[in-house]
Amino acid sequence: MLVHLANVLLSGVFHASILFLVAAGLQVVFGVQRIFNLACGSFYALGAYVGVSFVQASVQAGLPPGLFVLALVAGGLCVAVVGPVVERGLLRFVYDRDETFQLLLTFAVVLMLEDVIRMLWGTSPLSTGGLYLLYGQLKVLGVTVPVYNLIVIGASLLIALLIGYMLARTKFGRIIRAAADNREMSEALGVDMRRVYVRVFTLGTLLGTVGGALVIPATAAMTEMGIELIVEAFAVVVIGGLGSMRGAFVGALVVGVLRSIAISTYPELEMLLIYLIVIAVLVLKPRGLFGGAAA
Amino acid sequence: METNRRDFLKGIGAAATGGALGFPAVVRAQTRKGIPAEPVKIGLLAIRAGVAAPVGAAGQRGVEWWAERVNKAGGILGRKAELVLEEESSPKDTVERFRKLALQTKVDVIVGGISTAVGLALGPVAEELAMLWLSWDATTQKGVEETMPKPKFAFRSVDNEVEAIGGAILTAKYFKGVKTIAGINNDYSYGRDCWDAFQAVLKRYTPDVKPVLDLWPKLGVTDFTSHIAAIQQAKPDLLMTSFWSGDTTILLKQAAAVGLFKSMKGCFTTGGGVHDSLKKSFTPEGLVLGYNSMYFNYAGASALQKQFVREYKAKHGEYPPYECDHGYFTVESYRAGVEKAYKAAGEWPSKEQVAKALEGIQVESLSGKRSWREDHVQMCNFFQGITTHKSEFDFVTIDPVEVLPTTKIMKPSTSTKLYEWINATFPLKS
Amino acid sequence: MRRAGLALVVALILAMPFVAGDYYVTLMLPFFAYSVILLGLNLLFGYTGLLSFGHALFIGVGAYAAAFLTSKFGVMHLEAILLAAAGAAVLIAAPIGGLCVRYVKIYFAMLTLAFGMLFHSFLLKFYFVTGGDEGMRVLQPFLLGFDLSQIPKVRFLTRPFYYYSVVVLAVATFVMWRIVSSPFGLCLRAIRDNPDKAQSLGVSVKRYRWYAFVISAAYAAVGGALLGPTTGQVDPNLAYWTHSGNIVFMMLLGGFANFFGPLVGALVFIFLQDTVMSIVPYWRLVFGAILALIVIAAPGGLMGLLDRRAVSWGEKSRQGGAPP
Repeated sequence: MLVHLANVLLSGVFHASILFLVAAGLQVVFGVQRIFNLACGSFYALGAYVGVSFVQASVQAGLPPGLFVLALVAGGLCVAVVGPVVERGLLRFVYDRDETFQLLLTFAVVLMLEDVIRMLWGTSPLSTGGLYLLYGQLKVLGVTVPVYNLIVIGASLLIALLIGYMLARTKFGRIIRAAADNREMSEALGVDMRRVYVRVFTLGTLLGTVGGALVIPATAAMTEMGIELIVEAFAVVVIGGLGSMRGAFVGALVVGVLRSIAISTYPELEMLLIYLIVIAVLVLKPRGLFGGAAA
Repeated sequence: METNRRDFLKGIGAAATGGALGFPAVVRAQTRKGIPAEPVKIGLLAIRAGVAAPVGAAGQRGVEWWAERVNKAGGILGRKAELVLEEESSPKDTVERFRKLALQTKVDVIVGGISTAVGLALGPVAEELAMLWLSWDATTQKGVEETMPKPKFAFRSVDNEVEAIGGAILTAKYFKGVKTIAGINNDYSYGRDCWDAFQAVLKRYTPDVKPVLDLWPKLGVTDFTSHIAAIQQAKPDLLMTSFWSGDTTILLKQAAAVGLFKSMKGCFTTGGGVHDSLKKSFTPEGLVLGYNSMYFNYAGASALQKQFVREYKAKHGEYPPYECDHGYFTVESYRAGVEKAYKAAGEWPSKEQVAKALEGIQVESLSGKRSWREDHVQMCNFFQGITTHKSEFDFVTIDPVEVLPTTKIMKPSTSTKLYEWINATFPLKS
Repeated sequence: MRRAGLALVVALILAMPFVAGDYYVTLMLPFFAYSVILLGLNLLFGYTGLLSFGHALFIGVGAYAAAFLTSKFGVMHLEAILLAAAGAAVLIAAPIGGLCVRYVKIYFAMLTLAFGMLFHSFLLKFYFVTGGDEGMRVLQPFLLGFDLSQIPKVRFLTRPFYYYSVVVLAVATFVMWRIVSSPFGLCLRAIRDNPDKAQSLGVSVKRYRWYAFVISAAYAAVGGALLGPTTGQVDPNLAYWTHSGNIVFMMLLGGFANFFGPLVGALVFIFLQDTVMSIVPYWRLVFGAILALIVIAAPGGLMGLLDRRAVSWGEKSRQGGAPP
């Protein structure tokens, strides 16, 4: 029983660590730019596909298979270049518009990226074959866990810590927090908001693409994965509170673990559960668990 | 825009029939009595986006391969076959595309349709428009009950639950001593019907078999670690699934990572749809795996199938899945139906005449002989077997291969009650 | 000038079944249905300033109402079906609206999105009631008490049902016009432009937003019920969030600042989609690009562009006959 509980929790945390990365990307952008980026799921899908391509290329180039994680991270980082492209090419034109227009612009990006992925990679599910099993398994609390799952969890935690550090301790982090608090004030104090926005949006994109690249060995890339994930990421940030990094972290854990528990206890609930939680949170605590933003 | 495209299409048609210099003698000598000169227009509905997009692409490739061959050999009664492609998506939009093909493009026949919801919507529309519709993979069954008892123009796919019935027969045959079973199926009608039918048939062979867990992930889910944790806890003797898309790959990979199939058997009724991606490194030997109506590596395959597999691999870099066969069968049977009806009518047959001719017709498809039952249901063989690593591919194949004909594993008519039939029919004697 | 234009459009619509091909006539049917939906959606967005990203919920309510009534309860009269659809939507929208209108902007959009997806999951999950992914049949309804099942379906759609839809749209347009040009409509615009000021002037902001929400839900349901007979089938895709996105797309394409803008958007969207889908397999890319272009370069939509041109031609005094 205890072993089972540990198993359920660990699988929930694994799911949560991916959700966290995507949701964190959503949060950092919303926190500073006040844009709810529907395309964060598409960035995740893009990262997954590029991850597959990079791994295949690296294996062909003779890189030892054991180092495929490096190829994944490289792929995730490289494709984050779509971040500044979208920001400079599209979003910057609508910063002075109503939030709803910005939301719609990101919806346009969702539509476009879905087809771009189909054009570049086709429609068949792509995977990195058996690389997932390369690192073997570990026994944790009596549960057999693939080492790669632990790597993903660890990487996600590490990224969470890095972001936390960056926000709290670095100059860029202070600027971000200031900008999130009061944009006009920061601008008046000489902050170049243009650069801040580019960097923030790139960071948000990067979290999604790296998340997608990291998860791909454990799963397979499918064209609709972005549209599916956005709904879950959306649940995470609603539960955690829009714009809050801590909220993304806690929200991801809540969604990941509750989903896992539901599957083990009431599998029929799987599909409904998330929306029920989201609506409960929105009704009872509309700003989420950590939300400070004005409604 | 529309006129431009239509003119363009006409242009192609004219070039094809008029300037047929490069074609074999049959084409030029075509002017048979009562045969119009312009090409036969074949409307094609294929899914292009989402989980089922690879299935749509495979069906389309099967039809295109057919068209190339038939046109090279002189077309249908000397008329070139011209494909007009439209997208299958939601039922509402697909009905619109269907109407466009029928009313605007004025095609002679429409093939395609994969999703059940789309099939349920298209069936009545085909009848309303008196438009011949040959479905690839979509049925007009709601659950396991037929909604169109006497169709005139709609021809539909095999019953959804057939693969699960085949899987249950093989489970009983190869995995003796299975007492507890768990199911993981997508949370929609296909998944539910498969799981119910699988249990019902298996119970006929092993009356004391007990379901201990049924999981219902949404179609399109890409992480099953939590589901696997639940399966590990339930400890069934066998895990059954009707997954057919990339989720099969993901489930097998994540199961391998925790050694799930070391302690239980597995029955993957439909996973052969993505057979290329089921790599040996994570797909164990000894699972039941179903390939639907065509198994690319079947030793007893016809020369036609072998040629198709070879050319498909050369062109697309992968081995063909079953949907190619459904696509090919629908257009090839249309050709045969037209020729049969022509013999009787002495002129190019009407849609009614072709529909009549199709009832009970048998043709050679990629996977061998296939037919339309009198009540407009596809008949074929299903290929399922036990996974093995003994092959030159990097993905699993099956050996032995069991050939399960729809005459045995599908209820004999659309009015038959499925579960009464199961109880009366199984266990099969042989 | 404006009147003449409107009369010309009406004449074209009335003449269409006799001059255009059957397919294009049937393509007008979803246009009428979406027009009704968009009139409601724009009351909420264009006039009240609230963007619903979950309006597909109410389209679903209307469509499923038509399915339940015709195929389960044998209620075939379309008038009854439309009324029932509106009634069901009001019942469902009342509590949901009560919760949603406590928020504005992105929070409102998200809350409506969440409710929309909850409903979508409900349709899929409770398949023993709703048919799940397979959906439900919508049988051919009676129009004004006449059972027209003897007429071939295409004929039914392109003649009686076509004109019936035109009338429904005309009534819906007239009622909406009255709503937005009434003092009530004025209050909504005041709320959109400055809620604090409106509140201080004694307008109950939340209550008015709630009225707008419920009315727009009823419109969406009537439109949803009109969509049903054309397809003959309803399914959960109708309630999916991307469908909500599409109707917002239509509204923006035509221009939300103009009373008729969203209708123009629906027309262009439907016929453009029809053409593009047949030509290129990647129509989502094309549509995404169009949407991006509109949001960036022409936030007033097509009607906005038209109005701007009209103004530059010298019609200075005209503020747009429609309430802005």
